[in-house]
Amino acid sequence: MAATAIATVAPATQSRFLAWVGTTDHKRIGILYLCTTFAFFLIGGIEALLMRLQLAVADNTLLGPDAYNQIFTMHGTTMIFLFMMPVLVGFGNYLVPLMIGARDMAFPRLNMFSYWVLLFGGLFLYASFLAGAAPDTGWFSYAPLTVTTFSPNHNIDFWILGLELLGVSSIAGSINFLTTILCLRAPGMSFGRMPLFVWMTFVTAVLTLLAMPSLSVAAALLFLDRHLGTGFYSAAAGGDPLLWQHLFWSFGHPEVYILILPAFGIISEVVPVFSRKPLFGYYMVAYSGVAIGFLSFTVWAHHMFAVGLPLAAQVFFAASSMTIAVPTAIKIFNWIATMWHGTIRLTAAMHFAIGFIGNFIIGGLSGVMVAVVPFDWQATDSYFVVAHMHYVMFGGSMLAVFAGTYYWFPKITGRRLGEGLGLVHVVLTFFGFNLTFLPMHLLGLMGMPRRVYTYAPDQGWDIINFAETVGAVILGIGVLVFLINVFRSLRGGQRAGNDPWDAWTLEWATTSPPPPWNFITHPPVHSARPLWDAKHPEDPDWKRGRSGSRVGVPHGSEVDGGQPSPPPPGPSYSEGEPTPELPEHTYWPLLLAASLAAVLVGVLVHVALMVAGLVVAVYALLGWLLSERPRTPSPGAGDERGAGTARALPTARTPVSPSREGESVGVGHAPVRSSRPSGSVAVPPNLHTPLSPRPREGPGERGPR
Amino acid sequence: MSASGAAVPATQHRVAPFGKSLDWWGFALFVLSEAWIFLNLVAAYIYLRWLSPASQPMALPHRELLLPSINTAILLGSGVVAHWANTGLDRDDRRRLCGGFIATIVLGLLFLAGQGWEYTHASFTPQSSIYGACFFTLTGLHGLHVAVGAVFLLVLLLRAWGGAFSSEHAFPVQAGTLYWHFVDAVWVVLFTLLYLI
Repeated sequence: MAATAIATVAPATQSRFLAWVGTTDHKRIGILYLCTTFAFFLIGGIEALLMRLQLAVADNTLLGPDAYNQIFTMHGTTMIFLFMMPVLVGFGNYLVPLMIGARDMAFPRLNMFSYWVLLFGGLFLYASFLAGAAPDTGWFSYAPLTVTTFSPNHNIDFWILGLELLGVSSIAGSINFLTTILCLRAPGMSFGRMPLFVWMTFVTAVLTLLAMPSLSVAAALLFLDRHLGTGFYSAAAGGDPLLWQHLFWSFGHPEVYILILPAFGIISEVVPVFSRKPLFGYYMVAYSGVAIGFLSFTVWAHHMFAVGLPLAAQVFFAASSMTIAVPTAIKIFNWIATMWHGTIRLTAAMHFAIGFIGNFIIGGLSGVMVAVVPFDWQATDSYFVVAHMHYVMFGGSMLAVFAGTYYWFPKITGRRLGEGLGLVHVVLTFFGFNLTFLPMHLLGLMGMPRRVYTYAPDQGWDIINFAETVGAVILGIGVLVFLINVFRSLRGGQRAGNDPWDAWTLEWATTSPPPPWNFITHPPVHSARPLWDAKHPEDPDWKRGRSGSRVGVPHGSEVDGGQPSPPPPGPSYSEGEPTPELPEHTYWPLLLAASLAAVLVGVLVHVALMVAGLVVAVYALLGWLLSERPRTPSPGAGDERGAGTARALPTARTPVSPSREGESVGVGHAPVRSSRPSGSVAVPPNLHTPLSPRPREGPGERGPR
Repeated sequence: MSASGAAVPATQHRVAPFGKSLDWWGFALFVLSEAWIFLNLVAAYIYLRWLSPASQPMALPHRELLLPSINTAILLGSGVVAHWANTGLDRDDRRRLCGGFIATIVLGLLFLAGQGWEYTHASFTPQSSIYGACFFTLTGLHGLHVAVGAVFLLVLLLRAWGGAFSSEHAFPVQAGTLYWHFVDAVWVVLFTLLYLI
């Protein structure tokens, strides 16, 4: 099923490879994002293992100091910029249009461009290893270590240029997410009814849009310092090395929330479904996410307590950093309250979600500790900070990514991940993770600084370091088990059906995997759980007031004998006559991304390549803009709705033949079973008006649109 | 009323928050990200000039005011002309649109020429002082935006010449004008911070 559905978009004449390369379908781009970033995760994980092996015993000689510097820098850069950020973008790419009942992202070509720029940016960063000059100044690359005097080779240039490229990808992606969520919600899908994952993706996109420019500016000024002889980061020339820290962390701290907020969103989807209760305090979870996003711009200098800030600044940043714990704790209490009295189904996804809550609390608490200025002076740049950071990033974001993978894998592939191997994965991950990182708190308090490539045998750090290395290996085995599980499940996993978890959000209201057009009919949305309403017309949410005001088990069918009854058949909104509005096939954004990467290589290698890259980039940009498909005039002048949306009929450029689509979903030329989804209730004819000007409102509806 | 079933949409459903189209939102957010780049650069300049504990008070070279003031007037004037051209399209007055855009582009190029003259006659370089570094970085990036904006308007002009736009299909023209206004607004901030204060 997965294979046939995937093959349908490509015309018969086109290879499957080219079908993926030229795709603008948000689901395919999402899958590309997920696979690419997971590959980078494996690379970053290997780098982590190398570091742990080096530190396993005192005076080890596995890695020299230079190699160690490059490995820890690339580990941090990879995990943050090439894995965690884009993997969450990948989930968002796949899920946001489905969750809001849209057909695609607002700008499918820009979406494609974001992906390819990410890929080329990653390859560019890793090409530094081929040049023997990988970045080696840590993932935050403090000036003045990074200026030419101390870093004369190209190491830092790879880092600067690579991150500029990744910044372009992130900013383009966040513009796309914001526009999609603002403008493409299905009728009735007000902000107050959006799934929490969409909410958190929205806040994250705002943060990305407003934080990435700081990094781009910081890196550009560093580049000028290195190659034009300006003195922005040089105290001798009238500049200030601290300017780097201010600029970097005014990106870097919102970045922390860019990495965790979508993870909060994933948990807010997984926990209610596997507790069989609506999320407790929907609005509090949403608004606390907004509060975190807002506060995240006011806390950057807590990374800089040790540099000697004015007292007033230290007090302010300590207080604002502790304030963030409040909205974060609100979310944690909401998840716990959601599970309270719920009928918890302990799937692998739910295991990871619960593990997320526990481990993230530890990371959050050590975060409050380092917000206390005197304690921070003690712990800064020690392994305590490494422990804190990994409890937030791995114990938090990574476990949420695993939870999300187990939860949405059936939607993406049509098959479930094996629960047995999933449980092995859970156990190995929790055990290995805590064995690796819990002792690091102690090691930091004992005085071991981060980023040292070895230590002496008489320092008393041997046993703890060895135990941590054992933990890291266990963690690595856990990832291997996960990989085996993925490949086994892709071949012979249990068929998922549309809605394997009896869930409530719209991505489950279409086939698994969804057809290229996602939905044929607009799913009706009257509450935050539209699919619940559709499955339980006798007890819809919108008759009960806001979700979360209900406590206890909402329906009795699943409590008898602990054996869940089969979920009621949910409606599917992906069947019916497909319209010709299908994902486009194009190579222009890919060409533009490649030429931008060529420009950067040219900066380092030869000016001729740079000029050639620029020429091709202009050519690609013109090709992109001028090959825009014809837009049909909107039905009413000045009416935004429908303007430019109707795509042209399939042409040579839209590689879809209706007969082939029909094979996968049973429509088109294939025998049409029914023009109406079998599970849906017959609709009065007056509801079939196409392009109804206003979304139909359910009785008792409230909340602003 | 039944809770399930809905109309078959002929196209993607769109909402227009605050009456603005999808294209407008995308473009406005792009301009916002550009504005944030300038905001960060300006913040860096303010930090280096007034807040940095490490450096001496920023040494300011002699700043000539006459040419930059004329340049400012030219650029602000071009913004007014661009606005006038844009409103011409609302009445489907394509001649006014084309004429206005020609004038805007010419004024923009005049601005760039004045900037070039200033660069070649400045008493400082990017390397000679931190003010020079800030000056050339900020005005250089702004000048690049003026140049890109002029090319943007030129492409729009050529397409309008071919009869491409109308009051019904005005978005690209609005986007070009918005971009031009953005470049103008940035200049007002830079002029104040780099020349006046």
